Amino acid sequence: MLVLGTIIVFVLASIVYSLIQERVYAAEATILVTPQGGLSGSGQDTESLMQEVQNAVSTDEMLAEAMRRAGWEDERSFEQRLEVSQFVRQDSPEFGFRVRFSAPEAQEAARISNEYATLFVERVGDISDRLAGGSLAAEADVESRAVVPDNLSRPKPLIYAGIALVAGLLVGGAGALLLDSRTRSWRGARDAEMTLRAPVLGVIPEYSQDGGESQG
Amino acid sequence: MNPEVTREAGVRKFLAPYSPLRPHFEELANNLRSAGDQIRSVVVTCPEAGAGCSSVCLGLGAALAGLGHRAAVVDCNLARPNLHRVLGEPNFVGLTSSLEGDKSLENSGFEVASGLLVIPTGPVPSDPATYLDNESFVEAIRSLEESRDVVLLDAPVSGGVLSSPKFSKGFDGVLLVIHASRTSKSNARAATDDLLEAGVNLLGVVLNGGS
Repeated sequence: MLVLGTIIVFVLASIVYSLIQERVYAAEATILVTPQGGLSGSGQDTESLMQEVQNAVSTDEMLAEAMRRAGWEDERSFEQRLEVSQFVRQDSPEFGFRVRFSAPEAQEAARISNEYATLFVERVGDISDRLAGGSLAAEADVESRAVVPDNLSRPKPLIYAGIALVAGLLVGGAGALLLDSRTRSWRGARDAEMTLRAPVLGVIPEYSQDGGESQG
Repeated sequence: MNPEVTREAGVRKFLAPYSPLRPHFEELANNLRSAGDQIRSVVVTCPEAGAGCSSVCLGLGAALAGLGHRAAVVDCNLARPNLHRVLGEPNFVGLTSSLEGDKSLENSGFEVASGLLVIPTGPVPSDPATYLDNESFVEAIRSLEESRDVVLLDAPVSGGVLSSPKFSKGFDGVLLVIHASRTSKSNARAATDDLLEAGVNLLGVVLNGGS
């Protein structure tokens, strides 16, 4: 019952969450970075440089500049709407970044995505000489600009419900196990045998001081 | 009313053949005997104090006696003697005095019912472990088996049984008493696991206060 109850609560919460989520448009621009010089092309080198680039570029100053260009005031909200993810080109030293921005207006989402991507490219140019102590350099370009999205970015109630189902099962199961191990209430010989994995040779009813079996 | 008097009266009542608990103890006695005639000395323990070990020992002993087996219950709780108290008997002679060579165990107790001998701890020593970890303790119980079909040892809690090789391995088997509303499942499970891991011959479990 506890497990079922927890699952129901988690799933309901996930449905409510997906219903009250703000309906937004999401637009995505892509930046391609090409390392210059002596990068071996191994996956480890590429990932290391990619991380170095992102750390060097994504600073507080960059965020402030991006907000200024976008005309956005609330830093927390800006950060929540902005999503920068990495990708690597197969069999190539090239890698890149996807800049995704969500906004209530479609044009605004595309505009800010593109402005952030442009700023990112500018910053890569500025810092490329300094990467890895100057031994490596990289060129960046906006590979594809964000287009104005036609449709709202849909919440994913089924994915949320699935996650809630698994989380509810784990939390409810752990809770039930914990409660059961702490309980001082045995349901009978079968319960004792299942719990202790030993045969129950006898069950003695509750004994009352007047010498009779207690009534319950 | 004096609680000791009430307790004594209650315990004596379920020793009686007409006790409503008697059929339950008889079933337990039959199940225990079905484990084989070679099971003569049984250590009765519990995961924590308060599970009703002494009551189960007395009820089981009375049921065995009622079924025609000569039985004995020995109070081995030298740190907390209990049996003489619940029966309202003196504790001047018993296990410890017998081990010191005064009398045999057969002559160190009192018959509380036909065929049931109860042996209290006797005078409480300052160092109980020296008595219970001694080979003479096992020999005394084995001697008692010559005159009794079954000897029930009202033992300390399972942790104490495990810490004493004489208790855990010196006798024919161990019976674990759990109380339906006082013993936590985690403690009972831990006690069972510990007993089995130590290689104890766990005969089974008694669910006391069950329904």
